[in-house]
Amino acid sequence: MRSEAIVAGHGGQGVLELANWLAYYHLANGRHVASTPSYGPETRGGKVRGSVVAADAPIDSPIIETPDLLVVMNTPSLDFVPMLRPGGTLLVNRSLVAEVAPRPGLRVVEVPATDLAAGLFAFAPEPGLDTSMAANAVVFGAILALGAGEWATVRGPVEEVFRHTLTDRKQAYRPLDLRATESGFRWVRDHGAGALPATAPGAPLAASNGGAAPP
Amino acid sequence: MSAAVGYATKWGALPTLTGAPTHYCAGCEHGTLTRLLASAIEARQARERAVLVSSVGCSVLAHEYLNVDAVQAPHGRAPAVMAGIKRARPDLLVFGVQGDGDAVSIGLLELVNAANRGEPISIFLVNNAIYGMTGGQMAPTTPAGMVTTTTPNGRDVATTGRPFDATRLLLGLDGPAYLRRVFLPVAPTGSADVFNARGALDGEAAIRHAFEVQERGGFSFVEFVSTCWVNWKVSILESKRYAARVLAPLFPPGLYRDRFGVEAR
Amino acid sequence: MTALPEFLKGNEALAYGALRAGLTAFYGYPITPSSEIPETLAAKVGRPEFPRFRVFLQAASELEAINLAIGTAATGARTMTATSGPGFSLKQEGISYAAAMELPLLIVNVNRAGPGLGNLGPEQSDYFQATRGGGHGGYRTIVLAPDSVPEMARLPALAFSLAFRYRTPVIVLTDAFLGQLKEDLPVPDVAPEEWDTSWAATGARGPVRHVLSSLHLELADQNRHSRHLAAKYAEIARTEQRSEDVATDDADVVLVAFGICARLARAAVGSMRARGLRVGLLRPITLAPFPRDRIDDLVLSGVRRFLVLELNHGQMVDDVALAAAGRAEVRGLTEVGGLLPTSAAIGAAVEAMAVSPTPLVAAEEVDA
Repeated sequence: MRSEAIVAGHGGQGVLELANWLAYYHLANGRHVASTPSYGPETRGGKVRGSVVAADAPIDSPIIETPDLLVVMNTPSLDFVPMLRPGGTLLVNRSLVAEVAPRPGLRVVEVPATDLAAGLFAFAPEPGLDTSMAANAVVFGAILALGAGEWATVRGPVEEVFRHTLTDRKQAYRPLDLRATESGFRWVRDHGAGALPATAPGAPLAASNGGAAPP
Repeated sequence: MSAAVGYATKWGALPTLTGAPTHYCAGCEHGTLTRLLASAIEARQARERAVLVSSVGCSVLAHEYLNVDAVQAPHGRAPAVMAGIKRARPDLLVFGVQGDGDAVSIGLLELVNAANRGEPISIFLVNNAIYGMTGGQMAPTTPAGMVTTTTPNGRDVATTGRPFDATRLLLGLDGPAYLRRVFLPVAPTGSADVFNARGALDGEAAIRHAFEVQERGGFSFVEFVSTCWVNWKVSILESKRYAARVLAPLFPPGLYRDRFGVEAR
Repeated sequence: MTALPEFLKGNEALAYGALRAGLTAFYGYPITPSSEIPETLAAKVGRPEFPRFRVFLQAASELEAINLAIGTAATGARTMTATSGPGFSLKQEGISYAAAMELPLLIVNVNRAGPGLGNLGPEQSDYFQATRGGGHGGYRTIVLAPDSVPEMARLPALAFSLAFRYRTPVIVLTDAFLGQLKEDLPVPDVAPEEWDTSWAATGARGPVRHVLSSLHLELADQNRHSRHLAAKYAEIARTEQRSEDVATDDADVVLVAFGICARLARAAVGSMRARGLRVGLLRPITLAPFPRDRIDDLVLSGVRRFLVLELNHGQMVDDVALAAAGRAEVRGLTEVGGLLPTSAAIGAAVEAMAVSPTPLVAAEEVDA
């Protein structure tokens, strides 16, 4: 079974780091992974994009044309939405994307990732540090919440991913990133999709497989 | 006179010379330099660890005459090739002979960067103020006013720049450990037909010092002010007089840097 | 949860592959999208796990890099340089000298879009430059083309093996996509091979000298040397063709693709087969020597349609057509500028070809 995800945003949002985490999460679960920065059959300027293909068998083409999951970290990245396959999932950082137009046929999940991250100041590696940069970890948790499994089972592989991918300099951020990931995971499980007014009535599907139903 | 005799006594077979007749023109300092290199290599007992890099120009066939291992470099790239050999095999004595067009024009980047990094190699520049092998075109070192095949009215420094002083350029870098300029041709004396060969003795001493510096880990560079009577289109004797009159003031011989103090020993 | 495998960019994997093959020296000049190769190697000098790797130098230019590499290669040490398009052009003079002096040398070109400065996207437009010698004079190089990150790691060992066996420069031609692509790969367990280096210029031994020169002033000497090189290239062409077949046995249409295009083609074979179209893939691993014998085999076994997929205006298609020699229809599907052909475009081209009338074939085939 092949899954295709694209993460899009602007420089400084940790887009490629998020794609890397996602790739390592698949690796930690024994899957083959192919991941690229912003190359593909289409190019749109000014954005950072990472793609992650994961499959149980060796991957033939590492190229994504119609992703199952699109993560939109900023408003301009909504340009990628037409790439999504019908029934695919659009995961939006609601803190930075003002309005999401109705997307019939797509499952829309909105997470105030930057706000959630900013609220984790108590976990900053140094007092007073702005923790909103951990929004990518919040989104990481939100992505994981779309799959099966509870936080208790997801947490182990996530910790392994952070241990493996964070540079020595960034290891101090590990507790913050882990907390941010959990925060994103729980947000999706607690709120599901459709919790926010910008989403068109009837369009979104439930955000999680086996998670909380929309209120 | 005693200097000239001293030099003459050195003629004879050397194991570091192949004995092949050279293609160098009679009266050309390339032939002198070949002999001096062989002598200096033998003085260090270095023939079996010496690697010559021959460049493009009149020195391109140096490996035909020097009986040592050799690698031939693309035009101007000899310092890079030398550095590549030396970095892989620091135990080897790596040296190259370059002309002024090769080292100072097309290969300036390689020369300057090898020098700046202080690569432990020895570069011997034959500056005869003209392109010899290609048939007498203007070199970066050509004096103002000299007629060449590409400066038929004499070199106009207003449009082609002033003669390029490679030794002083390298002196501006911290990398080189040894910078020496030698006036290699036989030099006119006060008497019209009497020349001295002091340059050859200075030249061999400079080569020995350059090798010593290399084996102590430093970059060494010796510029040999030389002649090219064929392309200057003068007689052999007149070429020596011209070199003494015009080139020596333009490229003053001397010890420009001796970081390890090898000449004081 | 399983233990994490290696997960590397293609460029990084290539650097590790070279280290595991016994790399001694690397010289390079930074150029996107190849810079991860020097960046990976820079930190490895003197590390105990790679005891042979002793020399790393960021050169002052592409010219200096290739000539530093020539110097080190002349000592018989395993030497590599890496670059991309514009830098590959600059290195051509040195590659010509290395071919003439018969120096084993590994040159990596992470092909970006061109001509000129172009952009940083993937292209395969340096195919001709790589496979036809690229510099002045009549020489050839061996050109290897990986199509995955694991193969980026494997090919340096093959490259060195061929470079030393034949004493000739070997080029790994990859592309910006594969250079930047990250994939999981197994940790290879290869011990570096050993080769004869008695020809190297490391000091004369009594009467035995080693002179590595490309100058042969006597016309008869140059003639002899050129014939010697040509005979060597002919032997390489005879014995070193390498390729991979995917489902070509019963194929009506055989895709021919290398590098990232081979990955697109693999996916196309899978999806077209699922729809009942008999499509296969021939993936050249040696672009030079081109696997023309394999094309010949396919033609003799009845393949009449080849579709060449490449990121240029049509270069490898010439080699396929030469090998097919009029006995099969050869078409090309190309994309340029850093873009890749879509699966829809590939599918349409294959379908158009599959339903086209049986191509003209040579007379004896018609008679048969």
